[in-house]
Amino acid sequence: MNKLITLLLVTTALHAQDVRGIIEEVQRRSHTDSQRYEGTLQVIDNKERVTTKRWTYQRIGSFGESKAVLKFIEPAEVKGIALLIFNQKDRSSDQWMWTPSLQRDRRIAMQDRSTRFFGTDFSFEDLEERDVDQFDYKLLGEEPLNGQACWKIESRPRKTKSSQYTHSHVWVRKDIYAFVQIEGFKNQTLVRRIQYSNFEKIKNIWTAKKFEVLDAARKSRTVMQLEKLEYNIPTKQEDFTLQSLRRSE
Amino acid sequence: MKSCLPFALFLCGPLLTAQTFSQRGYLELRTSLYPQTAPNDSGQIIGEAQLRWDVSWQPKPSLKFYGSLDARTDTHQQVQREASFDWQDRTTRRPAFSLRRASIQWHRGGLTLEAGKQFIRWGKADILNPTDRFAPRDYLNVIDNDFLAVIAARSTYERKNDTVDLVYAPRFTPSRTPLLNQRWSALPVSPIPIIDRGGPIPGRGQFGARWNHIGKGYEVSAVFYDGIHHLPNFTTPLYFTVPTRIDLFRQYPTLRLYGADAAIPLRWFTLKGEAASFNNNYVIYVAQLERLVGEWTFVGGYAGEALIEKTNRLDFAPDRGFAKSFLGRAAYTIDSRRNLALEAAIRQNGKGTWLRTEYSQQLGQHWRTTASFTIIQGDMQDFLGQYKRNTHGLLAIRYSF
Repeated sequence: MNKLITLLLVTTALHAQDVRGIIEEVQRRSHTDSQRYEGTLQVIDNKERVTTKRWTYQRIGSFGESKAVLKFIEPAEVKGIALLIFNQKDRSSDQWMWTPSLQRDRRIAMQDRSTRFFGTDFSFEDLEERDVDQFDYKLLGEEPLNGQACWKIESRPRKTKSSQYTHSHVWVRKDIYAFVQIEGFKNQTLVRRIQYSNFEKIKNIWTAKKFEVLDAARKSRTVMQLEKLEYNIPTKQEDFTLQSLRRSE
Repeated sequence: MKSCLPFALFLCGPLLTAQTFSQRGYLELRTSLYPQTAPNDSGQIIGEAQLRWDVSWQPKPSLKFYGSLDARTDTHQQVQREASFDWQDRTTRRPAFSLRRASIQWHRGGLTLEAGKQFIRWGKADILNPTDRFAPRDYLNVIDNDFLAVIAARSTYERKNDTVDLVYAPRFTPSRTPLLNQRWSALPVSPIPIIDRGGPIPGRGQFGARWNHIGKGYEVSAVFYDGIHHLPNFTTPLYFTVPTRIDLFRQYPTLRLYGADAAIPLRWFTLKGEAASFNNNYVIYVAQLERLVGEWTFVGGYAGEALIEKTNRLDFAPDRGFAKSFLGRAAYTIDSRRNLALEAAIRQNGKGTWLRTEYSQQLGQHWRTTASFTIIQGDMQDFLGQYKRNTHGLLAIRYSF
């Protein structure tokens, strides 16, 4: 009996290690020092009305220690609004918003990051970089998705990381070690589903160029297409500061 | 024909370098409806039209030019009728055509320099910013005002988590105060006409410095300002007999200010605070809590004033007017097109209340309509209460491009 328990404990520990290894491999393969893209977002509400937004995104650093600037370029009424994100390894990110009409940066209260980002179906939390160390993992099994063999993994945020999701289910494609779907839950209720598609190899990194986010409660979705995507571009720290927000107008 | 070529090239320049040329703007039509007349203003419907065009051009990564133009008209003589162009924005009425911004910005490493007509905004609180000294406003409508740019040179040096801002403004830009013959001056009924005689605009420059530090889990700033208060004191001559008219003269007092602000994200709220001492006469402070909950944003706080020395009662001081008040704002994002907001200021002695609800809806990619209703109640002796006849509704439609 003792042997069986020992065997079970060892197997579970190895299993957890393996799962963590999968996520670490996803992170390792997608590691870049910087990134830039233009995103076109179509927000489709539950009555199928479509609103289009466009933003540019630029990041320096990776996974938990990155800084990013997101700037709206369309529609005209939000053009110039920019968000500066300092991702932190051990806590919620610090975020500031630059609003051209106010000519001022504002620190955003980030206690509840479930708030939708500018009327899209992304929450503020969904826009943050996630580090492997911020979550605990459990392998739920193997489940194909869109005809591709995938691992289905459960991730739970560690206490230091406040999250709107009590847990998430993550599908990782076995052949390319890339996320293809994430479902975020609050207890047993699905809150948000993010699907990744149109994979392309850019600078040796398998990259999804299309994201589809479903807000399960509102039944609205946002489709984001990435264009002009570049990795490891020459980027300076000075472009990720509060002053850079002012200059980005 | 040849002489037109350089001009054509100049026009084409921004198009040729489309990546570095950016523009945005809007055309807005607004109608305000006041159920009550005011003692000095019988107008109950005010129509306004505004065209704004903002451009920026970046010929080099380190160099950027900014420009912004405003064109306005209205039905209530708040905008000058002469079709002249004003680059200073220092007139008592709004100019029909004005240069809102014209500045050149250069940066290298952590250093950013900007010179020209520009907006300089300081502070961390949202409802009232006592440290925001280079930010005069257009107070023709006291509770719905816009910022005016200042002519200044600004240098900002940023190193790791610290930023030092130095500003010198050689020309003074005052705030625009309510017109005496209109409802926002809130003058009592007087058989003797009151005439705004203006006053000299001070010639001295203004200097300001600000240090900002972003720490782990907090952000803090210290501010120093030495210059002129952008809000005037009004004075009247001594009349030894019953006058046939009362002349009001404006005087812009010198101001030395020390201030500080801070933002601290806590577990349940983000705490933001701001305080400033004005000439060691009085201190204005703001403490607010902010939280996002789902699609709601809540901001609530208190603005206080500690009087060290009694000052002139003829001051026009909206910043002090909003002090000793509980302030709050709740905003709700209904969906990707619609927003709802509720704002309130309630004086702690209960003698003045201001409440505004606003509903806004996007129509297609370019249009937005806004409807709001503002209720003002209170005593005539109170800064907010004196505007109680200015309860009003507003309808606006904006085309953004």
